[in-house]
Amino acid sequence: MTHIAPLPKDAIADPELRALMAEAEALGVPDDLFARIVARAPEQAVPLMRALLISHNRGNVDHDLKEIIRILLARFANDKYFASLRSARARANGLTEQRIDDGCFAYEDDAKGFSAAEKCALRYADLMFLDANQVNKSFYDEMKLYWTEAQIMELGAFIAFHYGMQMFMRSLGARAPAEPA
Amino acid sequence: MMSVNPDAVDAAFFDELRLHYSDDEVVELGAFIGFNLGYHTFFGTLKFYPLFSPDGRLVNQAESEKLYGAAPSSLGNAETAE
Repeated sequence: MTHIAPLPKDAIADPELRALMAEAEALGVPDDLFARIVARAPEQAVPLMRALLISHNRGNVDHDLKEIIRILLARFANDKYFASLRSARARANGLTEQRIDDGCFAYEDDAKGFSAAEKCALRYADLMFLDANQVNKSFYDEMKLYWTEAQIMELGAFIAFHYGMQMFMRSLGARAPAEPA
Repeated sequence: MMSVNPDAVDAAFFDELRLHYSDDEVVELGAFIGFNLGYHTFFGTLKFYPLFSPDGRLVNQAESEKLYGAAPSSLGNAETAE
């Protein structure tokens, strides 16, 4: 049970929010708990859900890489809720739990097969909230060897937004869907 | 506390919040704080300075850097900003 009770699903009437909830249900991230909680702030609920979905499921950066980054951040945030969720799209693409664990804990190991571009993007996520001072001009110069500026902004905004929502759900005491209260 | 000591944001803290805010308002505040927690750190890495001076003048990035310092304050570098 979260510190703030989510609204019952059938209490959400806004068709835009319900459409976003359906899109999220198909993707698997987030499940309806997040939407039912933010629905308590109706003016924020739709833009928050839309930003969460667009930043994760659209754009010009590989979705599977974003899925690994999302889980890396959730584990760092100690947010059991988002850390437990998995993208059905990434799973259909063949992303395995082993690959996710490698991306979270051993991406610098050449034996794990991450490209230089992927390593740099994973380091970007790793350092952003561990030691933002290391995400400096020379770091961005290295990022630009592999990614366009548009892709870097896409990654940075994705990292910032998802980490923020993960810390929010952690603060509410949200747990993994299958985890007993 | 959500950023620097998230474990302190516990049931007792929410009970205290409820003395002053409705559950709906707490959700609005929490999402707002989460959003800003993420983006301020990200913008800090971009050396993204405020567009306005403290007295409300529109300033360019070079002038803003002089006004606000070489290391903009963010949750990611709070120690150096203090």
